[in-house]
Formats: sequence, C-alpha cells, structure tokens
Amino acid sequence: MSLQRDPENLEGKTLQRFVDFKDKRILEVGCGEGRLTWKYAAASSLTVGFDPDHSALRVARADCPPDLRGHTHFSGAGAQHIPFAKETFDIAILAWSL
Amino acid sequence: MVHALSEIQRVLKPLGTLLDLRAMEDTWPVEVVSSTGWQPSGRLEALPEMMADDEAADQAMREVESAGWFIKKRVEEFPYFYYWDTPSEMKEFTETDWEGLEKFSEEVYRKTASLWASANADARVRMRVRMHIARWEKA
Repeated sequence: MSLQRDPENLEGKTLQRFVDFKDKRILEVGCGEGRLTWKYAAASSLTVGFDPDHSALRVARADCPPDLRGHTHFSGAGAQHIPFAKETFDIAILAWSL
Repeated sequence: MVHALSEIQRVLKPLGTLLDLRAMEDTWPVEVVSSTGWQPSGRLEALPEMMADDEAADQAMREVESAGWFIKKRVEEFPYFYYWDTPSEMKEFTETDWEGLEKFSEEVYRKTASLWASANADARVRMRVRMHIARWEKA
C-alpha cells in the first residue's frame, strides 16, 4: 500500500501558524498513533496525548522519537474524565476528535 | 461532547487555547495528479451519519460559546491530501480502512482509473479533504 498522508505538511504548517507551542503544556484529545503529536511536541514543555484506543497508543509509544520521550506522555482515556487538576494546560487540541 | 468540552475547559489555564481540528464530512474530490498538473475525476460521497456528526460537533461548540466557556478567535479551512500510487490502492484503502465512512462509487473509480491510465507515468491519485481549524480562547 502506497498511501501518503499530507506529504505537503499543510496540517502541520497551519497548526504552527495558529498557535505558538513553545514551552507550552499541551493536551491532545484523540491523539491516536501520534501522527499529529510529532508535529508540535518538540516545542512544548509537556505534551499529554489522550485516546481510548489502546492499540493506537501502543503504536504512539513505540514511535515516539527519542528527543520527545522526556516530556511526551500518552494515556488511555477519553475526554469525559481528564485525570488532571484544573488549569494544568495552556493548549488543548481536539485532533479530529470532536 | 459538551461534557468533554467542560472537562477541557476545567483543565485549561485562564485564557488557554482550544484548537478544534477536524475533517469536514462533505464530498471529497478525487483527483489524478502528475508532474504536468491534476484533473478531477469525481467525488467520494459522505454518509448521512457522518454529516450528522459534523452538525453535532458544530452544535456543541455553539453551546459552549453561548455558555460563555470559550470565545472564538480564528477559523480557517485548508486542504489535506491523501495520495496513492494507483486507483486500485485507493479503492482498497477506502473499502477496508474506511469501511462505513466515505463511499467510493464504481463510476468514480472507473473514471479515476481511466484518467490515471492515460496520464503521465508519474501519475498518482489523491483525495482532497476539506479541513476545519478553529482557535478558541477560554473565557
């Protein structure tokens, strides 16, 4: 299968134009296999990806680039209950998930 | 959806940012593209239930805006392309990975295959998805 998704990286470029991720604490809801996560997480101080699909999260953890591992984490949960204290994150991303 | 948005509102800092990024479930153009340009060959048809999901998402955002939880700051659309080397690979993908999502009709497949067969050797097929991105600020 020769599928290529967004080889022009229009999604990543648009995301970067919309928000400054530098040193921000970011929550991504519906992170799946981390396809979008890798496009911004390097600039963040903390990235937490949520997804109820545990098999997708296994892929995300396995594919996580070494330079992101210290501040990028994945959790098997949905957005109905986010196990963090109030006012924890600077940015929340609904990644193809609303 | 509104409950999930209330959770997100809770964990965001004051004036925090919510980004809503999603594909709009309408008809998605199919194109044959090569080094000399591209030609449209038809559209994938969205299923009614997918269109309803879009409307539900929009409605949820309207509700939280009315409730004063978030303020809309910026909205844009942009294209997101899926590329395949051949029409048959595209067809196989939509029938397996997208089972129950967008429909690739036989008529569009035949036209895509015909255009692809007569195009340059570097021709590929692609689908143009209309993406929505909105930036909201926590009120």
